[in-house]
Amino acid sequence: MDFSLSEEQQLLKDSVDKYIAERYDYETRRQYLAEQQGFSAKVWRDFAELGWLTVPLPEAYGGFGGSVTDTAILMEAFGRGLVAEPYLATVLLAGQLIARGDNEELKARWLEPIMAGEAQAAFAYQERHSRFELDQIASRAQREGDGFVLSGDKALVFNGMAADVLIVSAQSDSGISLFAVPADAAGVTRRAFRLMDGQPIANIELDQVRVAGDALLCSEGQALALIQSVIDEATVAIAAEAVGAMDYLVKATTEYANTRKQFGLPIGKFQALQHRMVDMYMATEQCRSLLVRALCSVSEKEQQAPQDIAALKAMVGKYGRQVAEEAVQLHGGMGVTDELNIGGYLKRLMQIDMLFGDSRWQRRRFCELRYAESA
Amino acid sequence: MHAKFSDEELAFRDEVRAFLHDNFDAELATRISNPATYKAATIEWQKKRYDRGWVTPGWPEEYGGCGWSDTQKYIFDCELAAIGAPDVPPFGVKMVGPVIYTFGSEEQKQRFLPGILSGDTWWCQGYSEPGAGSDLAALQTRAERDGDEYVINGTKIWTTYAQHADWMFALVRTDNSGKPQQGISFVLIDMKSPGISVSPIISIDDEHHLNEVSFDNVRVPVANRIGEEHQGWTYAKALLTHERTALSGIGYCKQTLARIRRYAAEENDGGRPLLADPDFQARLADIEMELMALEFTELRVLATVASGGAPGMESSLLKLKGTELQQAVQSLLFDVAGLYGAAIPGESGIEALGHDYGDHARREYMFGRACTIYGGSNEVQKNIIAKFGLGL
Repeated sequence: MDFSLSEEQQLLKDSVDKYIAERYDYETRRQYLAEQQGFSAKVWRDFAELGWLTVPLPEAYGGFGGSVTDTAILMEAFGRGLVAEPYLATVLLAGQLIARGDNEELKARWLEPIMAGEAQAAFAYQERHSRFELDQIASRAQREGDGFVLSGDKALVFNGMAADVLIVSAQSDSGISLFAVPADAAGVTRRAFRLMDGQPIANIELDQVRVAGDALLCSEGQALALIQSVIDEATVAIAAEAVGAMDYLVKATTEYANTRKQFGLPIGKFQALQHRMVDMYMATEQCRSLLVRALCSVSEKEQQAPQDIAALKAMVGKYGRQVAEEAVQLHGGMGVTDELNIGGYLKRLMQIDMLFGDSRWQRRRFCELRYAESA
Repeated sequence: MHAKFSDEELAFRDEVRAFLHDNFDAELATRISNPATYKAATIEWQKKRYDRGWVTPGWPEEYGGCGWSDTQKYIFDCELAAIGAPDVPPFGVKMVGPVIYTFGSEEQKQRFLPGILSGDTWWCQGYSEPGAGSDLAALQTRAERDGDEYVINGTKIWTTYAQHADWMFALVRTDNSGKPQQGISFVLIDMKSPGISVSPIISIDDEHHLNEVSFDNVRVPVANRIGEEHQGWTYAKALLTHERTALSGIGYCKQTLARIRRYAAEENDGGRPLLADPDFQARLADIEMELMALEFTELRVLATVASGGAPGMESSLLKLKGTELQQAVQSLLFDVAGLYGAAIPGESGIEALGHDYGDHARREYMFGRACTIYGGSNEVQKNIIAKFGLGL
């Protein structure tokens, strides 16, 4: 049993914490979001230069070959700073799908540019009706010669506007398959929206999009297990991001309570408020503990890993929102202003709850995994 | 970052399992849970552990500790919990023992530690008073110096198992002039001393765990004082964080949840097992997930302590969350028992009643209401975290 960080991990943590603390204040972040693609090209280049885009990707293709813990270190710091850059979409979703598939040509084509910060990518998996179910896909992939014709509507694609390559899930005759589709392919129409935390997304229409047979990421009809494993690890990663955001909110709120005076006293002296902040702290520590638990079981590929992930995401979804709502309340009127950053954290934590299954959905998954047999 | 046990640790676990298999069984568990046989059975259980040298894993080896790593201690606790074996009573082993070996004189160590280890001496804790609960420093039991003796007058309350105790460790006031925390001394009192009377307090589980202990000119040798006069608060505080960590009850919760799942798989609910009901599952899952988290919070605290850190506010967190979970578990167990949880078997007995866990569920629930009050109420724990943890 060992919960300490290795020397290498500690260096990674120090460097990302320093970068976020010094280079990623809330006002600068506003300017990044205002850029057309919704994030800073310069920050992305920094990430590439610092080697962070290589962290989870395999060494065989020039990656760092890091563990889920390495990714969590980055994501926690990104959560603390509300980082807008599309690390999740490009590296943890699209990058990992390509890396863990078995199409060597695609790996050679995309992984290096992704890690160099030169290519953006996105995973188009959600559809209007599918909600949180990864296997409920209506988009079709019809065989035509030795290629496929893709048709369907993909919804709420993270980083969908900036992406150079889209990883698209679709039903083919033999089941769920994944395809790499250049974003500028004929028949691809992208419509831009923004999520409430400011990040751009796209609804993507695929109208008779023709791809060659070598666009398949893995064997035709065999993609669901690959999707599930990548989403599982991405779920742990966004939980780490949430823990970073919650941790920031606890510190920001206690600092504010120690400076804001009412009735002649810092409001942090009032017991009713103290106990609410203690609840915020305890909720954050409990989430951190489930994060550590999931990091251990996922990296050791233990049998109970899916249960641990479901529990983690269920708790982070619930407590992340609670902690953020409390932070708004304790900041009083300032908490509901757009000027203060606290509302930004609330929006991000609400989005994290809705991503890859909300707390209710994840709790049901936990129950299915844990009680199905005995009931 | 991993939570795996090494081969040596797995071998240790097997050793613990073998010991428990040979020394603890359902019959002993039943005698421990029955108030009429509780004391004798508890001492019997402690002696088995004593013979093996496994009573005080947390103590330094020179005083009888096991020399185990934190992981080994954790494994031991898990294995105890897995078969529903209770820990030995905390009053000697977890509470007064560490104070004696840390702050006591050589003579005191030689006199008192062997009885604590063997279970031959039963201890009780004399802290709370009618006027000093959460505000413990307001205690007023007086100890006036008369030659080489103290003369003690006053009243202690909520004294668990004072009716069984041979000795009490108590906080008494030796000086009234300074701040309340100053002028308190830590003394060991022979419960057979003339002038002590113990009156039972029946709690809402209808049992006699608690007592009021009054002192009428009770004479205690000055030699029974631990450390310096007036410094008792410092000694007591040093042990409180250990006490709180010990109060998290994670093993108890795990073991009770396993029982709940077993019972709920058998109870009928709308023509199917209660365990199949989505609402029930959701409630059970909320508790299990909190417990999964708290288990790792405890492991993280242990890791901090092992690397030289002090368990500060984390021990308050463990006490707070742990006791909240104990109550949630007890409440759920009571609900699974249905109306049988309310039925008192009395002289007809559990067998005639036809339900074997409702009585236990009720008593655990009722006495469990105390866990968020004792050891520093949960509201006081929140004050501690606010002040020392969050800097408010």
